[in-house]
Amino acid sequence: MTTSDSSSSPSSSGTESADLNPSSDPGTNSERVQSQLESMNLSQPSEVSDGSHTDYGGGDDDAEEEEEVASANGNEGGVSNGISVREDGLAGASGEEEVEPSSSRAEHPVEMEAGEEPPSPTSSGYDGERGSSGGATSTYKADDASEDEIREANVDGDTASQHEAAWLPGKRHVDEDDASISWRKRKKHFFILSNSGKPIYSRYGDEHKLAGFSATLQAIISFVENGGDRVNLVKAGKHQVVFLVKGPIYLVCISCTDETYEYLRGQLDLLYGQMILILTKSIDRCFEKNAKFDMTPLLGGTEAVFSSLVHSFSWNPATFLHAYTCLPLPFALRQSTGSILQDVCASGVLFALLMCRHKVVSLSGAQKASLHPDDLLLLSNFVMSSESFRTSESFSPICLPRYNPQAFLHAYVHFFDDDTYVMLLTTRSDAFYHLKDCRIRIEAVLLKSNILSTVQRSIAEGGMRVEDLPIDRRLRQKPSSTSNQGQDTSGPERLRDVSVGTGGPFGLWHFMYRSIYLDQYISSEFSPPVTTHRQQKSLYRAYQKLYASMHEKGLGPHKTQYRRDENYSLLCWVTPDFELYAAFDPLADKAMAIKMCNQVCQRVKELENEVFLQGASPFSW
Amino acid sequence: MGCAASLPDRNSGALNGLNSSENAVPADAKNLRVKLVLLGDSGVGKSCIVLRFVRGQFDATSKVTVGASFLSQTIALQDSTTVKFEIWDTAGQERYSALAPLYYRGAGVAVIVYDITSPESFKKAQYWVKELQKHGSPDIVMALVGNKADLHEKREVPTEDGMELAEKNGMFFIETSAKTADNINQLFEEIGKRLPRPSPSSS
Repeated sequence: MTTSDSSSSPSSSGTESADLNPSSDPGTNSERVQSQLESMNLSQPSEVSDGSHTDYGGGDDDAEEEEEVASANGNEGGVSNGISVREDGLAGASGEEEVEPSSSRAEHPVEMEAGEEPPSPTSSGYDGERGSSGGATSTYKADDASEDEIREANVDGDTASQHEAAWLPGKRHVDEDDASISWRKRKKHFFILSNSGKPIYSRYGDEHKLAGFSATLQAIISFVENGGDRVNLVKAGKHQVVFLVKGPIYLVCISCTDETYEYLRGQLDLLYGQMILILTKSIDRCFEKNAKFDMTPLLGGTEAVFSSLVHSFSWNPATFLHAYTCLPLPFALRQSTGSILQDVCASGVLFALLMCRHKVVSLSGAQKASLHPDDLLLLSNFVMSSESFRTSESFSPICLPRYNPQAFLHAYVHFFDDDTYVMLLTTRSDAFYHLKDCRIRIEAVLLKSNILSTVQRSIAEGGMRVEDLPIDRRLRQKPSSTSNQGQDTSGPERLRDVSVGTGGPFGLWHFMYRSIYLDQYISSEFSPPVTTHRQQKSLYRAYQKLYASMHEKGLGPHKTQYRRDENYSLLCWVTPDFELYAAFDPLADKAMAIKMCNQVCQRVKELENEVFLQGASPFSW
Repeated sequence: MGCAASLPDRNSGALNGLNSSENAVPADAKNLRVKLVLLGDSGVGKSCIVLRFVRGQFDATSKVTVGASFLSQTIALQDSTTVKFEIWDTAGQERYSALAPLYYRGAGVAVIVYDITSPESFKKAQYWVKELQKHGSPDIVMALVGNKADLHEKREVPTEDGMELAEKNGMFFIETSAKTADNINQLFEEIGKRLPRPSPSSS
């Protein structure tokens, strides 16, 4: 089904395919559905996709509006773009609530065809909607006009080389609601709501005006839940609607960005984690006491935290690699920073982290305490997106969802300069002065060894560059025998071919190397031709697909994969020690690309003491 | 105004905790040190008041405080005593209300801030007055501050209401503007004057 080939190491025998997204092919899709249906002995489709409309009134406690949520029938040629509803546990899952995506049944999703339009945001009866009853048609017609879609103006600047800097704090488009054309045209929506349908967060628009829309989402989820089942994914043309249920909290993503289901679900997971980081899981109790509890006031002032996280889904590989990245630094400097952080941890601090933007300079943890890379991502996102931390030293409660979702820790945060900051985490609410003293000790070490200026230089220079990779002489002199690009010219000319022009040697544009043992990754800087934010985003999306297909359960274990389409040649190599993702020019020679990947791995190994944090990491305990 | 005000000048290691008893016991009669906590609804300008006082800055872009920020500033009074304020600028968001005791416990001074254009924030100020009377230290010096006095054309809370609330609760009342710096230094000088002076015999 996928275009991957499996072997123990990169070789030149891989197949090539221009199809990056096999599941988007209607033919493949229906075949897959067919076979899955057969394999699961399903004689009848589930209720959700049964019939041309669905009445949710009966299953909805909250519903004053007994309405047809999905009344509009397919208006954009439902022949090939039928809706598939992916559900888990169709066989005997009744009464069982599962929220873990890793459940065994989740590995065998069922996709079903149904001639039914998904819930439209314009079904009648919403608060925010007046006089736009024909809206269903216009909403989904908008899919066809993807070229004209409203783009995130602040994010898509074509000159942004450091795209994390392109993000502006705060929520945008608050004036919108589900009746606004612009709102409906947004490519990617995120919603958090309560199980009574109360809105908690929306990426775009005012939550309170989206009450009707939230109620609809809630109705869909609870309708399926009432049938002893769970809805994970609804596909509607280009749109995917991904659901995640976390106790009384529902999270929904509606996207036409062609990202993988797995990654969108991972994004919802991170969004939930960010909320837990701010409030802890004890919010669940508020819903136990009062099902109609309004959570929005509790999240007051945190819009920037969420919008920054959503933005990071498109630029920060940590969001899908589940690893963290270090600022490249001379080994000795990282060592001396590490040892002062260790000292600090020995004095009763749970975690001590020195960070530069989202990159780790060094970190340490108390004995047996381990920090999950996702917690680190959410923590640095929280600190980096909250402006007030830069103003003065702060002491504030935060929760690490992977460490302990139930309890607050107390975080001392201090910025040494615009980018570099220290975070000291403790369980003791009265430890401020102690942590302040620790910071002073750390600062003294940093000043004495001139570490802060080295850190500044490193962040300005950036990380590894594909252009700087040393080219093995043997590679230069050995033209590939499998070359299919007419490169039978003589040696010197060929050499010029590969070293000038775009990207690094042999058409290497970009790579990411993830050390499995260290939970860390190193990613090369973007270089021409991948320069604009849009190109970078598109490369990351290609990587995400590759990552998802390499980690797909039940099809496993893939070791290498080589894909070629009109945009890139992508190569992925997974070993027990590391994962390598590399992007090449689409016309790059495959054999040379594979050799180049070996070179990259060798180079990373040579530099591992500078680009990775070794030893001191609590991750490895 | 010194930007290095947050650097400590006391011996490190001697103090532990947010509420250490040294706050109530100044070093000597001429050099007072006091823990001050700012409370009030979100967006009333607590951080702006502090930054105006400590750094002489005003930043119109609102930066939501997370948890609590710590700053310190020393002023000299006319009677040549110095007062070092250790200021806890708390977040006004509802989710931090439950954590407020962490910051106001043991505080010698509480400054309760509202926005003169927002009756809502005045209501919240009344809540904090009650809360502190119940749970604050008994000899706490309390000040009620109506901020954003420069926006007098949008005023919705009359000065008299503020004065009345302050009088009833034995507080010191002042209207300030962090934007124009109006009454900011006066606020802290007045607090300094009202601080209890240690009697020579006390321990």
